Amino acid sequence: MSQMNRLDLYKAMVRIRQYESRILQEYHADKKPAWDIGAGLIPGEMHLAAGQEPSAVGVCAHLKKGDAITAPHRPHHFALAHGVDMNKMTAEIYGRDTGLCRGKGGHMHLFDPENHFSCSGIIAEGYPVACGQAFAFKRKGTDHVAIAVAGEGAANQGAFHESLNLAALWNLPVVFIIEDNDWAISVPRSHSTANASNADRAAGYGMPGVRVENNDVEAVFEAAGAAIERARTGDGPSLIEIHTLRLWGHFEGDAQAYRGAELETVDERDPIPRYAELLKELGELTDDQISSIAAEADAEVDAAIQFAISSPEPAPADALNHVFA
Amino acid sequence: MSAGGVVGVIANPASARDIRRLVASGAAVTTNHKLNMLSRLLAGLSAAGVDRVISMSDMGGISAGLAATSSKPSGAGWPKLEFIDHPITQTASDTAVAVEEMVAREVDAIVVLGGDGTNRVVAGFCGPVPVASISTGTNNAFPGVIEPTVVGLATGLVATGRVDPAAATRRCKALLVQVGSATERALVDVAILSGNEVGSGAIWESAAIGELFLTFAEPQAIGLSSIGGHLRPVCRDEPTGLHIRLGPPAVHRVRVPLAPGLLSDIDIAQLAELGLDQAIQVNAPSGVIALDGERVLRFAHGETVTVMLSWDGPLAIDVARTMQIAATSGVLDELAQQA
Repeated sequence: MSQMNRLDLYKAMVRIRQYESRILQEYHADKKPAWDIGAGLIPGEMHLAAGQEPSAVGVCAHLKKGDAITAPHRPHHFALAHGVDMNKMTAEIYGRDTGLCRGKGGHMHLFDPENHFSCSGIIAEGYPVACGQAFAFKRKGTDHVAIAVAGEGAANQGAFHESLNLAALWNLPVVFIIEDNDWAISVPRSHSTANASNADRAAGYGMPGVRVENNDVEAVFEAAGAAIERARTGDGPSLIEIHTLRLWGHFEGDAQAYRGAELETVDERDPIPRYAELLKELGELTDDQISSIAAEADAEVDAAIQFAISSPEPAPADALNHVFA
Repeated sequence: MSAGGVVGVIANPASARDIRRLVASGAAVTTNHKLNMLSRLLAGLSAAGVDRVISMSDMGGISAGLAATSSKPSGAGWPKLEFIDHPITQTASDTAVAVEEMVAREVDAIVVLGGDGTNRVVAGFCGPVPVASISTGTNNAFPGVIEPTVVGLATGLVATGRVDPAAATRRCKALLVQVGSATERALVDVAILSGNEVGSGAIWESAAIGELFLTFAEPQAIGLSSIGGHLRPVCRDEPTGLHIRLGPPAVHRVRVPLAPGLLSDIDIAQLAELGLDQAIQVNAPSGVIALDGERVLRFAHGETVTVMLSWDGPLAIDVARTMQIAATSGVLDELAQQA
């Protein structure tokens, strides 16, 4: 298992948060009229992952080049934590020709073959794909693993159950990550799901299932390390459900009236200031470092946004190129 | 003691889902399994004449499942079921708040479904109310693996006064841990670990453990207390505990089940009896304190940590003894005649 480096975990979470915060700002900056999601420099819907940094950072700390991730419609945190190029990713979000998919995918369709990263707006679509990747890794005799990420609502899809079944049957090196942020768009688990925890569902397929509470990056790190180690060494699939936090709306523009009183406490549950406090208590982080780490992340994000804005839009003549469906 | 008997129920929705399913062979105890156990418990409570049950609330599917089943034909024979309306934080404080409220509502007994950790939290707030414990955790030394129907019967007999609580219960030991001005409690074990990582809480490795304090040590146990159990068994009723320093240097070695399916060789440097009411200062200048197998507290240089054995544990309902008394005193016959 990888050795834990607290400062690296903190930096990785801040980098993601600064990115999401800037995208939030830029997304709304020129969206006029505000309800027209096609307007402005960043077209389309936007699902940001602020609050969910511990899951991406805790899991990806154990991955190496060649390992695969399939992410859902809320993908930025896992993309950044897995090493997807920030410039190319941002250009894709802005719909530019220099983007990962030449500007034709947008923020829900970030495909990076170099880092084996993909995502999709289709709920639970990534589960079977991760099984395919894991099957390939196994056939090739490598020790690579595939990580399938989705939300708790996605675990009610047939693709989830079919994937767990196949992964268990074929003993595939895949780790299923469920990010339970309490809300499937606007639907709480109690209104949609017969099982209180998806860790229980793993048991039905004969694979270990654990649930990590409190959105704690170190607890995620420890559980993910154990699950990834099992997968690498041939012990097969596992499932980790991470109780995390959707700090903002399901999509940008979501008024979140359905969250009621729960919304009032989101800021105090923010995992990043809480982790900063812990590291300060332990003498592993100073106020100066907090500022410099944020500034460093801001500079990287600024550069990525500049790269995107200054990149050309796809030429109309290329509309049918590089399109497979 | 109320005429019909009122019983509180604490069922930890989060038990048996920790990392020991990955690093050891910890079994899953699913929410539906826990609900099944609760339905057996409620059947037993009902048969013993309990007419009210007060449950904690949770977002892990337990209270919702109980409420749903109570409105079905299969829940028709249950005692009247009430739920405490407390804020749900999905942390151990839910248990604490619920137990406090149960005590305020003067329940006659509390049944706990969980592991050592759940029982530890209950013990901090249950006061003189007797507690019956059913294991739904991973490494449980305190609660037993026992049929919930029978626990329901026994608890009901105590709650309704059909069996004298003084005869049916026994006082448990506890370890009181003093860190600065704060006091924590453990029911089975306190481990002092080096480093400052709390991680996911559970312990499955011994490498970082420097010292171990035990209230009792049974050789048939699993988890940290099995270390003492293999070296020098101590019963739950004995007025002593154990204080063990782990090696190196080692004067002895034991091979114990630290987690399900996981046997570890552990070097022992020193073994001593732990007397009652003697505060022992821990050796390490800083580190992590694990209570009943869960890493929960850090202590820093300059903070003094002491551990003391006391009779400050909960009043536990002894199910076997209760049923023995009920069977030999004619209480079970009376119950059958009333049916």
